[in-house]
Amino acid sequence: MDETREQLLKLKIDGIETEARPSETILQVAERLMIHIPTLCYWKFVKPYGACRMCTVEVAVHGKKRLVPACAYNVREGIEVWTGSDEVVKHRKMLLELMLARHSQVEVVRNLAKEYGVDATRFEAMPSEGCIHCGLCVRVCSEVVGANALTFVKRGTDRYVSTPFEGESESCIACGACAYVCPTGYIRVEDIRARKYIPAELCAGPVTPIHVDFLQAVPGVPYIDAASCIHMQTGGCGICSQVCETNAIDYAMQESTEEVDVGNIILATGFQVFDAKRAEPFGYGRFDNVITSLEFERMAYASSPTGGRIVTTDGRVPRSLAVLHCIGSRDKHYNEYCSRVCCMYSLKTAHLLKEKCEEAEVYELYIDMRCFGKGYEEFYNRLLSEGVHFIRGRGVEVSNAPSLPTSPAGDSNQLYVRCEDTLLGVPREIPVDMVILSVGLEPAADATTVQHLFHISRSKDGFFLEKHPKLAPINTPTDGIYVAGCAQGPKDIPDSVAQGAAAAGAVLSIISAGEVVLEPTTAHVDEEVCTGCGVCMTVCPFEAISRNPETDQAQINEALCKACGTCVAACPSGAAKQWGFDDVQITAELEALLTV
Amino acid sequence: MPRLASAEQVRRYQESCRRRLEEFPLLVSLCHGTACCTIGAKEVAAAFEQALAGDQRVRFIRSGCHGFCEVGPLVVVRPLGVVYQRVRAAEVPEIVERSLRKGEIIDRLLYGSGENGKACATEDEIPFYAKQSRVVLALNSFIDPFSIDDYLAYGGYGALAKALSELTPQQVLQEVLDARLRGRGGGGFDAGRKWKSCRDADPEQPHHIVCNADEGDPGAFMDESILEGNPHSVIEGMVLGAYAMAGPGGVDGYIYVRNEYPQALKTFSHALKQAREYGFLGEDILGSGLHFDIKVSRGGGAFVCGESSALFRSLEGKVGEPRAKYIHSTERGFRDEPTNLNNVETWANVPHIINKGAAWFRSRGTESSPGTKVFSLVGKVENTGLIEVPMGITLREVVFDIGGGIKGGRAFKAVQTGGPSGGCLPESCLDLPVDFDVLTEAGSMMGSGGMIVMDDETCVVDVAKYFIDFLPGENCGKCLPCREGLKHMSRILHRITGGNGRPEDLDRLTRLGEAMTATALCGLGASAPNPVLSSIKYFRDEYWAHIYEQRCPGRVCRALISYRIVPELCTGCGACEKVCVAGAIRAVPAEERAEGLRREIDPERCDRCSACRDSCPAEAVTVESPARVTGSIPENVTEKR
Repeated sequence: MDETREQLLKLKIDGIETEARPSETILQVAERLMIHIPTLCYWKFVKPYGACRMCTVEVAVHGKKRLVPACAYNVREGIEVWTGSDEVVKHRKMLLELMLARHSQVEVVRNLAKEYGVDATRFEAMPSEGCIHCGLCVRVCSEVVGANALTFVKRGTDRYVSTPFEGESESCIACGACAYVCPTGYIRVEDIRARKYIPAELCAGPVTPIHVDFLQAVPGVPYIDAASCIHMQTGGCGICSQVCETNAIDYAMQESTEEVDVGNIILATGFQVFDAKRAEPFGYGRFDNVITSLEFERMAYASSPTGGRIVTTDGRVPRSLAVLHCIGSRDKHYNEYCSRVCCMYSLKTAHLLKEKCEEAEVYELYIDMRCFGKGYEEFYNRLLSEGVHFIRGRGVEVSNAPSLPTSPAGDSNQLYVRCEDTLLGVPREIPVDMVILSVGLEPAADATTVQHLFHISRSKDGFFLEKHPKLAPINTPTDGIYVAGCAQGPKDIPDSVAQGAAAAGAVLSIISAGEVVLEPTTAHVDEEVCTGCGVCMTVCPFEAISRNPETDQAQINEALCKACGTCVAACPSGAAKQWGFDDVQITAELEALLTV
Repeated sequence: MPRLASAEQVRRYQESCRRRLEEFPLLVSLCHGTACCTIGAKEVAAAFEQALAGDQRVRFIRSGCHGFCEVGPLVVVRPLGVVYQRVRAAEVPEIVERSLRKGEIIDRLLYGSGENGKACATEDEIPFYAKQSRVVLALNSFIDPFSIDDYLAYGGYGALAKALSELTPQQVLQEVLDARLRGRGGGGFDAGRKWKSCRDADPEQPHHIVCNADEGDPGAFMDESILEGNPHSVIEGMVLGAYAMAGPGGVDGYIYVRNEYPQALKTFSHALKQAREYGFLGEDILGSGLHFDIKVSRGGGAFVCGESSALFRSLEGKVGEPRAKYIHSTERGFRDEPTNLNNVETWANVPHIINKGAAWFRSRGTESSPGTKVFSLVGKVENTGLIEVPMGITLREVVFDIGGGIKGGRAFKAVQTGGPSGGCLPESCLDLPVDFDVLTEAGSMMGSGGMIVMDDETCVVDVAKYFIDFLPGENCGKCLPCREGLKHMSRILHRITGGNGRPEDLDRLTRLGEAMTATALCGLGASAPNPVLSSIKYFRDEYWAHIYEQRCPGRVCRALISYRIVPELCTGCGACEKVCVAGAIRAVPAEERAEGLRREIDPERCDRCSACRDSCPAEAVTVESPARVTGSIPENVTEKR
């Protein structure tokens, strides 16, 4: 029935006169009026079940009083309801006594009992495992998720919740909805693999399938991860669209491609970290406790699966750790350049380690310490005083077996870091529990694609080529296309922000000028001569020449033309001409020069 | 095999069936109900077939339950009208020879023979039958349940023919309303009113006519006997109901039979097949335009599925769980569509009401409970079996006049009515009339018709415990008060009967029972405390005896009784020692007789299994329950019963 067309009817609840729709239950009316009725088996998004009987209220229908469950009783015209009469409270207390006899260790039961002043039960204690038979898990899996992976088994006093044949349910999609609605914590979501913290799969924190990626996301609106969304998998749930007040959720939304006409483009496509697997001597991917700096960041994050604790894969706190600088950087085999940020973040790593693993020995193996800028050198000095062991010698190998006879034998998970300590002049082998590889920065994986799309060049290191390394670091040779951030070269956050602002500023100044200043000596095409051969289009380095669809001839965009003259020289028919550089004008200049 | 297409054809065919039966001057009716079959009726039937082979004058039928189960297998010979009891296959040739061929009465097979009482030959003389008023069970001993022609011969399907040709659906409904027929399954709800709200429900949806044959009460077999003995009466009732309640959306029928009634299933399914062949079910019944058929559904062995909303879920193929019934099933029942559910006995009454009218129906019974009711009278009475009595008859008449009084001449203690939902009524209630409201007000319930009579050797607490223990395996387990409450009630009662009762237990049971009745989701949970609450109300002193004196007045509770061999009576035969598994009986010199041995029971080793008592030819073994703690029952306990 269309809810908006239902006739309102009058009723009285706890002395308050009010109106309600016939499709509403007493509980819904009470909720609206902020009258509290206790429930244990009720959840807004599943059908009322009426199992716990805690919401029992007294109702007078045509003068006759009876007790009914508020969650399941639809309102009728002229009824009067008492949610806390003596009769109701008396029976609620008895029900709570029954619950306490079985579930005295369940918090939600204890709290409810306390609310009603029931602190002891006259019935024999028959402790349960914590399931109060509210049926919420079964109902949510059936009505919302649509997987029907668990249900009630057996009848009567022996009834309990289980999966088919008590085994692993094939239809369970591990959505966790049952654990979410369970009021006692009896149902838990468990990792069924062996409890190893595989660093690569650490996530930034628990999220629901619909979530905002992170606080700084643009646009700052939620999106739905189709792989974990229940609706996408079973067609059920849909609760998010029910609660959205602006009806903004559209499950059928598809990816679409849009064409936008713009006058300026800023390329800020970022970077990727060096793939530590390529640096084989360091054992990443071979040994359990060798992780990259980024994986360390994820583990140290307060909402990580470890809760911010630093632990080895078997859950222990490491007694010693080594941080190896320049993994993938300053290296002929991988990237020759210095990645600029690693020294500082390695120092930060050491500082965090000293904080989180108080007793641990922390070793920093470096080539040079590059602490440029404000406060950075000071930070390095602070770490020296925190007792971090700085070894000037790049780590060369990580192994799980000692090679020097003087190395102490450790347990089976012990790692050994080999290096040459250049200050002491000796090779060293350091036994550690965990190795953190400070990986460098590389151009983003899609750099080649972007390059071809925008016809810009890349320098030898693979980052996008700026117009001038000192004087125009955010411009490209093509007007209107800018680069900013690590797309242009490795840099830290302050520098990226500065470049971004610079690029934005450049774009804004062009937009706000309203006019573009052009070279006066641009090229133009003589329409009477042009045959449309297209040679000029292929040679123009500035993408300034395109084919006119109507005349099928070349046309030159004056705004883009940089007056380099290449098309003029290349044009076989002489149709491309440059203002101020006609054959006649050049001949005249030559004549003037030679007549002296 | 004709398909009858009009009321007129029905009447003519009825006439021809009647005349065909009249060609048999003699009728031998052997009770072939489930009960009698377990004590040899099958062999008796085979013997009759053999003895009567080729005899054209005798119509021999294996009929449904006659009701007098105490003395089965029963054989009735008509037109003599003589009733033979406890017939064995070996006696059949004699019956054929003497009663059938010569018309003689065989005295030794009569009821009441062999005792000091007078031998009774016919039903009118037998006290068990005399005070009954058989309407629903009337035809049981006259018809072969597998023969639709028998039913027709005795006027069966006449009501349907009359209704479909002479009455409108509203008139049929009005007749049932006027009759004030109350549901015979236990609820006692006015069937006519239920019919009316089903009729008035959403016309676009199909209306469902359902028969509840789940009969879960332990010891109840009324519905079973109706289905086994006269299945067509139920079919006719349901078609009449379909006629009255059908809407434009159509009407279909279901019967939900408990799986533990194979005989009833067989009989009823056969009857359905015949009814279809004859045109009483199917398309355009008797040319009235009514399309209706009935499907059979078997239960899965759950008492809770006798509850209407649980029954519908089970019928739909789901788990039988009740739901709150604030929305009536006549609006949203089976498949969430308008459904009318009635008990077997209720349906069986309908053809009689249409045939003879509401006024006739109301001429028996009481103002608030008109008509008759079938009861299963069991327990410590002389005559156990199935009885049909007019409402308003007193319990005393039922127990003593029909039931023949307490077995063995012992003292009456209580009668339990209504099965697990009912209560125990003491001697002071014996003069109460059997009536829905009267019994409910007294603290019990009519229920589906179970009546268990108890003597002074029955323990009321034990009976209450029995019913409370029956329910935990049968309730659905959905709601808290029933699921947990029954558990604790059971524990407390076990403690009490085990000699570990505590003074606060009665208060606990009472308070718990009140909470269960007030907050349970369905009728099962709400009425489950009744046996306990009613027995506490009327037999509080028995509870106190168990708790305070650790004494069982009924001498039943094993933890509180002891067995003793009376020295003066013991003959020393040693039969008891032979059967004692616990090795608790030993021989000792018999001082009383100055020679020989007598037997003695060692109370430490005795298991109280009663094997010795059952085997003693001299009835020398007594059961005692002396008070172990005396004088501690509070004064305010001894209430008048």
